[in-house]
Formats: sequence, C-alpha cells, structure tokens
Amino acid sequence: MNLSLFLLAGFAVLLLILLIGVLREPQRDGKLENDLGFPEEAGRSHATYLRQVQQAMAAADFEFLAARGSRGLSQRTRKERRRIALAYLCCLRSDFLKLWRLARVISTMSPKVGVAQEFARLRLGLIFSLRYEMIRIKFLFGFAPLPELGTLSGVVSKLAGRLETAMKELGERAALAASLASTPDGRRLESR
Amino acid sequence: MSGLPPYVQWIWACSILAQLIVLVLLFLKGNFRKLPFFTAYVALNICQAGFVVILYSIWGTDSHTSFTLAWYSECVTLLAQALATTEILEITLRPYKGIWGLGWRTLAVTSAIVVTLSVLATRDNWAFAQWFELNRGYHLTFATALIVFLLLVRYYSIPVAATYKMILGGFCLYSCTEILINTILQALLRKGFAVHQALWQSVTMVSFVLVQTIWMAAVRRPLPVEDQQAALYSDSEYQRLAPEINEQLRQLNEKLLRLWKLEARPR
Repeated sequence: MNLSLFLLAGFAVLLLILLIGVLREPQRDGKLENDLGFPEEAGRSHATYLRQVQQAMAAADFEFLAARGSRGLSQRTRKERRRIALAYLCCLRSDFLKLWRLARVISTMSPKVGVAQEFARLRLGLIFSLRYEMIRIKFLFGFAPLPELGTLSGVVSKLAGRLETAMKELGERAALAASLASTPDGRRLESR
Repeated sequence: MSGLPPYVQWIWACSILAQLIVLVLLFLKGNFRKLPFFTAYVALNICQAGFVVILYSIWGTDSHTSFTLAWYSECVTLLAQALATTEILEITLRPYKGIWGLGWRTLAVTSAIVVTLSVLATRDNWAFAQWFELNRGYHLTFATALIVFLLLVRYYSIPVAATYKMILGGFCLYSCTEILINTILQALLRKGFAVHQALWQSVTMVSFVLVQTIWMAAVRRPLPVEDQQAALYSDSEYQRLAPEINEQLRQLNEKLLRLWKLEARPR
C-alpha cells in the first residue's frame, strides 16, 4: 500500500471516529442554564480577584516570612497560596467558558454570523486554553507566573468587550424589529 | 446478470428490497412531503438498480458499455445524494440563518481543500481507474463536508432530530465505507481489480444494505413537525435575556479593563 492510499484509508477511519463522536447525544449543559438563570450574580467575576492573588504570590511576602519566621512556615504558606492561585485560575477559566457559551448563544440567535468574528473567537479560545495550561503547569511546578496571569485576564476582558459589541448590535436590531412590528404595515419605513 | 455469482445477486436483491421498504415507509408515513429530495434519491437508487440489471442483461457484466453507463447512472444518484443531504441540513438550520450562512461558506472552503488534496493524492492512478478515483474523491469530499457541518452544528448546540441524525449518519457511514473499500481493494488487488469485481460489488452493497436498515428505522415514524414556535420562543427569550447578559458583560468588562490597566502600569 503506497503512502497516499494509506493516508486515504487513515482519513476514512478518522472520519468514521468523528462521525461517531459527532452523532453522540451531547451532555446537557446545566452550567449555562445556571449562568443565565441568576442575573443577581452579575459582576461576581472571578477575574476581579487578580490583585489579591498577585499580592498573595508576591515574592516579598515569602522573603519576609523566611527572614522573620521559619523556613517551614514560608514553605507552608507558599504551598497554601499556590493552591489558592490554582483555584483562582480554575475560576478564571470558568468565567471564560461562561462567556464563550454566551457568545455561542448570541451567534446562534443572530441572523448574520461573521466568519472573521467566529474564527477570531475560536483563536481566542485556543490562546486562552494554551496559556491556561502553561500557567497551570508552572504553578504546579512551583513557579509564580504573574505576568502570564495578567495576560490571561486580558483574554477574558477582550472577549467580554467583543461580546458587548455583539450584544449591542443585536439589541439595536431587536429594537428595530420591534418598532417595525409596532408600525401598521410598516408604512413609516416604506415612506423613507 | 449471469456473469455475477449467485451470492452477489442475492445481496443485490436484498439491497433493492431494503430500498423499496424505505421508499414505501416514506410514502406511508407521509415523510416524502417533507423530504422530497431524499425520497427522490431513494427512488433514483431503485431505478439505477433496474437500469444496471438491464445493462448487464444486454451487454453482460464485463462489457465496457455496461461499465461506462453504470458509472454515468452512479453520477446521477450521487448528485441526488448531495441534494438530499443539503435538504436535511437546510431543514435543520432553517431557524438559524446566521449559522446556515457560516455553514455553507465553511463547506465550500472545506470541499475545495479536500477536492484539491484528493486530486493530488490520486493523480498517478487516474489513467487506469478514473471512475473509482472520481467516486472516491466525491465520497471523500462529501463525508468531510458533512462531518465539518455536523461539528459546526454540535459546536453551536443546535438540536438535530434523531431521524435526521440517522439519515445524515447513514449517508456519512456509506461514504466512509466506500472510501475504505475503494482504497483497501485498490491496494490489495491492484493487478487484478476486474477479476475481483464481484467482491467489490458485494462489499459495497452490504454496506449500502446496512445504511438502508438505519434509514428504515429512521423513517418508520412520521418526521417531527418543525417547531416554528421554537424559533420565536428563543427569539423572545433572547430579547428578555439580552439586556441582562449585556449588563453582566459590561460590568465584567469594566472590572477586567480596570485590572488590565493596573497590570500595565509600571511598578
């Protein structure tokens, strides 16, 4: 079997695997429903605790503890704070995923979806995932990558900004549709 | 037909019977109204089988005329397959105009890439196996495009009725097995493909009978009535939720923006 035939057969097997995966019933996403169902949660974004996490991981604290207290105390504190930072990172990811799902809902409901925007969001998601994993690994191995953490928050912020613009556009469109519906036979629009 | 071994003739008969059952079910349950292209595709397949039987009876199975005409008839059914699939995709995505627009553009790009790649991969065999290469190229493009589309549908969490999933899955399964059969047989029986025509026919038809069985299960009940209200409901729900989500996003964005500025400030 030459290489091209081997690749073709492999590709067909890959397509079959993808077909099985794609036709499987998707798991119900209760998280999204919760996210959309509790507007009182507004503003409780985990990303807002970045300063505290940065402070918690500051080298000066550990130096102070090592100098004034014991080395063991410094290490224990570092370990606990690292755990907190990891939990923060996890929450930041959940913030991102929440926005990601919202963006998908907006796209689904929108009568026009921009290819460039969708690919840009996909790229954002990939960048976020990559950075998230890199920072997580760094934390797990005992480093404190604070600049990267800031960049990660930036990705969330950027996406939120884009979503806001999209929501605004959709809101305007909905308002236009509502005003059209309220105008008898849409005469006002026709006369323009 | 006498040129074909009895077991191939039996599989052929089973295939025609299965197609007839699917067609009868489509008419009995009134599904032909909703899926006219799919019904036409099934009917065309039966007609094609009859046409090939006539060809083999007149010119025999080894005749070049039978071979060429049979492949021409295959082109017609493949075109009908593409139309039937588009019909189901269009029904599924009708309430989602934006995603439909994105979907067909993605399909066009994906198909162009796959066609180019398959032409590049098979150009050496073109001289002596052009019909097989065309058939495989088509199925490769079709299956890839369909999978990409289904991935897109899943990504946007668009609900697809089980019946449509089964029909689309059947199409895709058939195309994938066709690629596999054509590729493996071509590699194994490179020197004597004509001698093993019966084997190729029987394997292809067995996979087609399997797909017909899936379709029988799919169309045994009337197709779900399209819920036009569902789209309206979603729209009103969206209009209710939009300002709330917008407010959440605005607040989050503001807070993150403030954080970002703090980050950027020199220490």
